[in-house]
Amino acid sequence: MEQKLLLHAEKIDKRFGPTHAVNEVSLDFLEGEVHALIGENGSGKSTFTNMLTGILPIGSGTFTLMGHDVAPKNQVDANHQGIAIVVQETGTLGGLSVADNMFLGDEDQFIRRGIKDTAAMNRKAQELLDAYDLGYIKATSIIDNYDFEDRKLVEIVKSTWFDPAVLVIDETTTALSQKGRDKLFEVMDHVRELGHCVIFISHDMGEVLKMADRISILRDGDFVTTVNREDVDEDQLKTLMVGRQMDDHYYRTDYPDYAREQPGETAVSVRGVTVPGMIDDVSFDLHRGEILGIGGLSECGMHEVGKAIFGASYDRTGEVVLADGTKVKDINTAIDHSIAYASKDRDNESLLINDTIEDNIALPSMRDMGRVLSDKKLREFSDKYAVLMSTKMVSVNQYVSALSGGNKQKVVLARWLGKQSDILVLDSPTRGIDIKVKAAIYALLEQMRKENKAILIISEEIMELLGMCDRIFVMKDGKINGELTRSPELSEQDLISKMV
Amino acid sequence: MTTSNDTAIDSKTTAIDDKKKDAFAARIRGFLPLIGFVVILGFFAIATGGSILTPKNITLILSGGYMLMIAACGVWLIMTMGCLDFSQGSMLGVSCAVFCALSQYNLVLAILGGIATGGVIGAINAYFHVYRQIQSFVVTMCVMFLLRGVCAFITTTSPVYAATYVTTFNDMTLLMGITLAVLVITYVVTRFTSIGHNLKAIGANEKAARFAGIKVQKTKVIVYIVAGCLTGFAAFINAIKVGSVTSTAGNMLETQLLIAMVLGGMPINGGARARFSNIVIGVLSYLILQKGLVMMGFTTEIQQLILGVVFIIMVALFSDRSSNQVIK
Repeated sequence: MEQKLLLHAEKIDKRFGPTHAVNEVSLDFLEGEVHALIGENGSGKSTFTNMLTGILPIGSGTFTLMGHDVAPKNQVDANHQGIAIVVQETGTLGGLSVADNMFLGDEDQFIRRGIKDTAAMNRKAQELLDAYDLGYIKATSIIDNYDFEDRKLVEIVKSTWFDPAVLVIDETTTALSQKGRDKLFEVMDHVRELGHCVIFISHDMGEVLKMADRISILRDGDFVTTVNREDVDEDQLKTLMVGRQMDDHYYRTDYPDYAREQPGETAVSVRGVTVPGMIDDVSFDLHRGEILGIGGLSECGMHEVGKAIFGASYDRTGEVVLADGTKVKDINTAIDHSIAYASKDRDNESLLINDTIEDNIALPSMRDMGRVLSDKKLREFSDKYAVLMSTKMVSVNQYVSALSGGNKQKVVLARWLGKQSDILVLDSPTRGIDIKVKAAIYALLEQMRKENKAILIISEEIMELLGMCDRIFVMKDGKINGELTRSPELSEQDLISKMV
Repeated sequence: MTTSNDTAIDSKTTAIDDKKKDAFAARIRGFLPLIGFVVILGFFAIATGGSILTPKNITLILSGGYMLMIAACGVWLIMTMGCLDFSQGSMLGVSCAVFCALSQYNLVLAILGGIATGGVIGAINAYFHVYRQIQSFVVTMCVMFLLRGVCAFITTTSPVYAATYVTTFNDMTLLMGITLAVLVITYVVTRFTSIGHNLKAIGANEKAARFAGIKVQKTKVIVYIVAGCLTGFAAFINAIKVGSVTSTAGNMLETQLLIAMVLGGMPINGGARARFSNIVIGVLSYLILQKGLVMMGFTTEIQQLILGVVFIIMVALFSDRSSNQVIK
C-alpha cells in the first residue's frame, strides 16, 4: 500500500547559542500514519515540533505541507494552516472558562459587528465537548475547576476539533491516567482514519510500539533513522536512541553493593518539611559520599524541596537539621553551614546575569575575605575558580548575560566551589546544557562524591537520575512516592510508574 | 530569553560581532556622562560669553551644590539597589525645621537632631518598602506628601528661624571640606568593602542576590536610614545658607537629585553599572546646566521644560533595558 506524502521537512535546523538543538533534519510524514518521534531528552524532538507548530521560529530549512511551504508565526497561525499541537506542560490558562481556553486567540469567528457572541462560543464549545464524549466538562465553567487530566482533555479537543492535517502529541501521555490515554489514542486513530498524520512524541516505548506506524529516532539533534513498527522491538529502539554514548563514560559506571557498604554520615536531615501548596510532610536523610536524586513531574513539588533545604522557601514548616544540630531556617544559615544551591531558574535565582562573572563567583565568599576588599584579591579569587571550572570567557569582568547556558552553570558551580561548600543541592543541574558541559558536570559531581561531599540532584531528566544517583526518591503531588536504589536493572519505567 | 539570545541563534559570527559591538557601546556609554559634562560646560561657556567661568560664578555654582552633593550620596546608595526615594526634598525640609528649632539651644544637638530626623524618616520609608513590600517609589511618594504637610504645618504662622550664629558658618572652605569628607567616606566604604558589591547585586537582581547570601532586607533598611541621615546632615548645610525654613524648603530636591544622577550616567534601575563618579559628574553637570540656563535669561518655565527634555534623553540613553525589570 503506497501512502501519499503529506508533510515534508527539509534540512530543519535550530541553534540555541552554542547548542545545536536540531541539526539539518529531513523527514517525510505520510497521509494516514501515526509517526512517532523518539529520542533522549535534549535530542531535539520537541524543538523540531515546536518549529513546525509556531512555538519557536524556524532556524533554517523548510516545512512543506501538501505542496505549500508553512512557517507558522504562532500556534493559532499553525492551526489555521492545519497543524495543531498538544503540549507536554499545561497548555490552558487558569482564570478563564473552558470555552475561552478552547478558542483562545481564535475568537474572531464569534464576533458579529464588533461584539463577541459569548453564548455562541459557549454553545459551540459544549457541542464539541459532547461530541468527544466529554459532556461532563461544562464549557462555561472556569477551567481551574477541573483537574490536570480534564484540562489536558480540553486541550486535546481544542487542538483536534477542526481536523488538522498534522497533529503533534508532545509527551502528553506521561501526565494522563489510563482513561485519558484511551481517549487520546481514540483521537489519534480518528486522525489516522481521516488520512491525516499524527506526530507522536513519547518516552514510553511500549506505547510507541502500540500506536505508531513508523518511528523516527533523533539523537543529539541529529536524525538517526526511520523504521517501521513491525521491524523493531523495544531494545532495538533503545539502542538506536542512546547510540554509543552510554559507553563514553557519560554517566557513572560503578554500581556499589549497598547491602554491604555502610552509608556515610548524615549531612542533612529533612524532617516533616511542608510548604503549603507545594510539598507535604517530606522527610529524608542526605548522607556524605552519596548522590541522592529526586525525580518526578515538573509540578510535583520536588523543586521546592531544594529551596526548603536552602532556607529559601516561603512559609515552610518542619525542620532541616544539619549534622552539628543546626537548624536551617534562612539562606544565610544555609550558606554559612556549607550548603550550596543551584536553582532550576538559573537566570533569575542563581545568577545576577547583569553583573560580572567576578561578582557572581565572589559574592557569598566576600565576607570571608576580610574587611578591606581590594580589586586584586577579588579578581584572583574569581579567576581561580572560573578557570578551575574551565569557564569559557574573555575575563571575569565580562557580564554573565553574555555566557551560554553551560558556562552560566559553571559560574554557579565555581561560586560554591569557592565557598568550599560540601553539601550541594542542585536543581536541574544540566538543564539546557550541551553534551560536553554535561559530561564535565557529571565528572565533577562524581569527583565530589568521592571527596565525601553530600550531593542532592533534583532533576526532570530520568536518564540523569538513573545514571548518577545512589538513591532516587520519586515525588508525586508533593509527597515522596517511592525510593529506588542504584542498580543496572533500574529502568525509566520504574521511575515513571511512580511519578504518575 | 532576551533578544541577544535570539541573534546568537542566527550564526556564531554574528553573535561574536554583536558581543564586540555591545562591549564597544558599553565603553562609549561609560564615557558619555563625562562627555556630557564637557559639552554642557563648553556650551554655556560660549553661550554666556565665558562669564559662567569667572571665579565669582564658579563660587556661586558650588555654593548651591554642597547640599545637593551630600544628599546625592545617599540617593546614589538607594538607586544602586534599584530603588528610588522621592521623599528627599520634604525630608530635608522637616530635618531643617528640627535643626533650626534645636539650634536655639545647642549647635551639636541641632546637627544630631537634624540627622536623626532624616534617619527616622528613612527608617519609615524602609519599613513600608521592605517589610510591607510596597514599591519604594510609591512609599516615598506618600511620605513626600505627608512631610510636605508637616512642613506647611510647622511654618503656618511664620518661618522657623535658626539661631543667628548659624549663618556665621557660611564659609566656603568649611563647606567644601565637609562635602569632600562625605564624598571620600562614601567612596571608600562602597569601593573597598563588600557593601558596594552587595548594593549593586541587589540592584542587578534582588532574588539572586538573596540566593547568593546577601541580607537584602537588612541592607535595604540600613541604606534607607543612612541616606536619611545624609539628607538630615544636608539640612544643616541648607540652614547655614538660608537661616530659616519656609514651607517650600527643599522643594523639588528629589527631582533635582534624580536629574543629576541621570546626567551622571546612573542607570535608572541601578545595578552593576552604577559608578561612584555618577554622583560627582552628575551633580556638577546639573549645577552648570541650571546656572547656565538662568544666566542665559530663560524664564523658570522654559528652564523646567529644557531640564525635562534633557532628563528624558539621558534616561533613554542610560536605562538598561536588557535587565527588563521595573524599579522596586
